[in-house]
Amino acid sequence: MDAVWNIEKIQQILPHRYPFIFVDRVVEIDEAAKKIVCLKNLTINDYFFAGHFPEQPVMPGVIMIEALAQAAILLYAALKPEIAAKKPIYYLGKIEAKFLKVVQPGDVLILEVIAEKMTGSAGIVNARAMVGTEPAVEARLMFGIK
Amino acid sequence: MPALSEVFKNDIRKIVSEISEVPIVDLKDEAMFAEDLGVDSMMALEIAATIEKKFKVVIPEDQIPNIRSLGNIYELLAKLNPR
Repeated sequence: MDAVWNIEKIQQILPHRYPFIFVDRVVEIDEAAKKIVCLKNLTINDYFFAGHFPEQPVMPGVIMIEALAQAAILLYAALKPEIAAKKPIYYLGKIEAKFLKVVQPGDVLILEVIAEKMTGSAGIVNARAMVGTEPAVEARLMFGIK
Repeated sequence: MPALSEVFKNDIRKIVSEISEVPIVDLKDEAMFAEDLGVDSMMALEIAATIEKKFKVVIPEDQIPNIRSLGNIYELLAKLNPR
């Protein structure tokens, strides 16, 4: 899928750096629907597979949540560029999540995030990570902006 | 403007109590969320989102910073005329 935002643009917005960037590409931004779709490509070279687990590589659930949270920051920046331009600190406050599928090397994780409510100092999003059309995680994330 | 009924107020107290983790008996209508109850901007947003779902109203974004006490929520909801 073509990039709407490439990794250079993503790194202009996200304060995260190696080894903690879990969004490779933004493929869709729909401001009217308050929605973003991003991709995270999984490879056996992803460092977390070395320990999780040596005999059976599985993407950790917390890292899938982190990937969705990073996609949520990118959505926030798309909807509120004037606040994102000030490079605020984003912090997670509360997570409700269901894990539905094992994610492995070779999978392309599709990160879909829709804003439920966003203000200048906080946001609530509904998020979903999928492999193909199969949901791997469904989550509701609440975060603050300082 | 009609005042909110006690039934509505009780539902709102329940929502605020659950999100703030402050027992209902300790929730005074005039207590300030941030100063007295430790409710931060994220919890205030969660309270607003929960109230929107529960009462089928839309709280305008610019009104959310004004949610600073239970009393504020009653006033705001009375204006929004919940069903």
